[in-house]
Amino acid sequence: MATIQVTRGELSLAEKLYIPEVMRGVAITTRQLVKNVFGRKDIATRQYPDVKKPYPERFRGRHRLTWRDDGSVRCVACMLCSTACPANCIHIVAGDKGDNTVEKYPVSFEIDLLVCVYCGFCEEACPCDAIRMDSGKHPMPSFSRDKQRIRKVQLLEEGQPSTSHPGGLGN
Amino acid sequence: MPTLKIDGQEITVDRGTTILQAAAQLGVQIPTFCYHPGLSIAANCRMCLVDTNKAPKPLPACHAQVMDGMEVWTNNEKVQRTRKAVLEFILLNHPVDCPICDQAGECVLQDHYFKYSAQPSRLFHRKRHKAKAKILGPNVILDAERCILCTRCVRFCDEVAKSSQLTVVNRGEKSEITTFPGKQLDNPYAANTVDICPVGALTSRDFRFRTRVWMLSTERGVCPECSRGCSIRVDTFENTVRRYKPVHNPKVNDWWMCDAGRASFRGYLEDRVEGPTIVADGKRRAVATAKAVEDAAKAIQAAGGHGKVALVASPWLTNEDAYVLGRLVTGALAGVKVYMGGRAAGAGDDILIQPDKNPNRKGVDAIFAALGVKAADLSSFDAKGIETVFVFGDNHDASPATLEALAAVPWRIVAGTKMGPWWQLATTFLPLRLHWEKDGTYTNFDGVVQRIRRAVKAAPTCKSEGWYAMKLAQSFGDALAFDAPADIFAAVAGSVPEFAGLAWSDLGDHGLRFGEGSVPAGADAASAEPQMEATT
Repeated sequence: MATIQVTRGELSLAEKLYIPEVMRGVAITTRQLVKNVFGRKDIATRQYPDVKKPYPERFRGRHRLTWRDDGSVRCVACMLCSTACPANCIHIVAGDKGDNTVEKYPVSFEIDLLVCVYCGFCEEACPCDAIRMDSGKHPMPSFSRDKQRIRKVQLLEEGQPSTSHPGGLGN
Repeated sequence: MPTLKIDGQEITVDRGTTILQAAAQLGVQIPTFCYHPGLSIAANCRMCLVDTNKAPKPLPACHAQVMDGMEVWTNNEKVQRTRKAVLEFILLNHPVDCPICDQAGECVLQDHYFKYSAQPSRLFHRKRHKAKAKILGPNVILDAERCILCTRCVRFCDEVAKSSQLTVVNRGEKSEITTFPGKQLDNPYAANTVDICPVGALTSRDFRFRTRVWMLSTERGVCPECSRGCSIRVDTFENTVRRYKPVHNPKVNDWWMCDAGRASFRGYLEDRVEGPTIVADGKRRAVATAKAVEDAAKAIQAAGGHGKVALVASPWLTNEDAYVLGRLVTGALAGVKVYMGGRAAGAGDDILIQPDKNPNRKGVDAIFAALGVKAADLSSFDAKGIETVFVFGDNHDASPATLEALAAVPWRIVAGTKMGPWWQLATTFLPLRLHWEKDGTYTNFDGVVQRIRRAVKAAPTCKSEGWYAMKLAQSFGDALAFDAPADIFAAVAGSVPEFAGLAWSDLGDHGLRFGEGSVPAGADAASAEPQMEATT
């Protein structure tokens, strides 16, 4: 373990007397208070719940499932996201849609946000642009663990139509 | 005996051997689609084309026979180029819908594409469209767009199932597999076409979209639905059985299994009972395993004499469990009446299905005969003078009269797996492990002893029949104790003449037939696999 020797400068008489230094500190605080109350221009503090910091463009937030043009879920339940998921938090039950153009769809699609590590591997793996993490929302606290398991309906509520074309731009 | 060179290695083989077989003897792998060792040779996929010095054009290795002085190159530049061209041709109209295809992960086309082609499609037309999700029969669904027309399924139906239900219709790129008009793919072996289909054209309707195959864990087992005892793979996901697949075993089932056996696992997943219960004061309540076993021992004691106790054994016992049970009824409980239950005989055929619907009758009979246990058929059960009955297993097809006779016995101990008439009958219920939850061996009708292995972790309250028999013997003062199924098997091999010479560690994947053993009698169990899960 490295040891760092810190040499401190000698205290001057005014500093040793203590009271003048306290007065100086109070003066700084008072000046800041007056500035904050009367002129709100260059405040360092962010007024958090009212003013939010914009997240960077590539921020990976809560997942969403995108829609087809007819509003149905774009996911085909291929399980590539749950295969790629290092935290094993995606649980899909696939079903037969009975429609020869789509065939497979997710009967249920659950993500356990308490387990998710927000790595983004699921959106990387998705061949259909069906799962995305660009909702810009971060996980919200809740009073039960069950609330943190977000389900297909919630994921679709976050969603919107995908901009990609099935089978590439040529189709 | 022609001598030839394959990739520079010299080999002498019998006349009439194909290049593919000769290469396999040398350990040289040649990729194939339509070739299947259990079927006739069609040589239509052209994937196995190899370069030889005897012909100007590449020859199909699965079909071309070797010649003296032949030189074969299986991986030179010409062959590599040919394979690439063949794969491009095969994939021309393939939909490449791997993400939703059930075959993905165990698809030969996928494997070959990545290994031998890996080039993007150069097709700029629309692909040819054919029948999608077409139901061919009760177990099989067809996606004609994925089909590569290798005709393995057609040949299987013609040659193995002898049903001739499938054919190829139309010509050229419009060719597709279909059933004959008015026919369905409904022969009792139809689902084997799914196994042999190298691509996702024929898929199982039962397994459709259930689990991606790369998520499955697998363990070898034996199908218990008839006394054939087909070698199977028990595929599991999240500790639940998802499907059975037949495994090649030349001693038992070749490559096949029947559809009834394949679908049978669902029946075991339903209505499972995993906790011991006792009925006291007319009420059934859950108890701990130790308490239930104690209760069973008390019931046997309360009968007042072993002559008043009846025990129902089952041809569903593994050889190991049957041996422990045999020791129980000849030792600690000598004098009890033994009955043999089991499922009633059904229909059989001359392909695989046997009329005896129990997996281990031959083994149990041999062990009981060697131990001197005389078992009467359960249908002759007589409740007269019987105070306690102990039923092992709940795979007994008993007539209502027999069930009534059993219900007349005051103490009824049942070791079973599921809710049903036998569970209702029980005054003491002991939960059992299923055949995929324990280690052991089954002997099929032909005397082939095969291992069953634990594919699923059972609830800790579920025990094997042998465990209960051992605990009972111990509670009656008999020092009957074994650590692992391998130890019991060594004892079986030492005392049952049919099993003489068989060793647990030699059973391997194909099992051993009676008399095929190599271990001299009296050798100890030191060679037994040590990692086997203990019976205790």
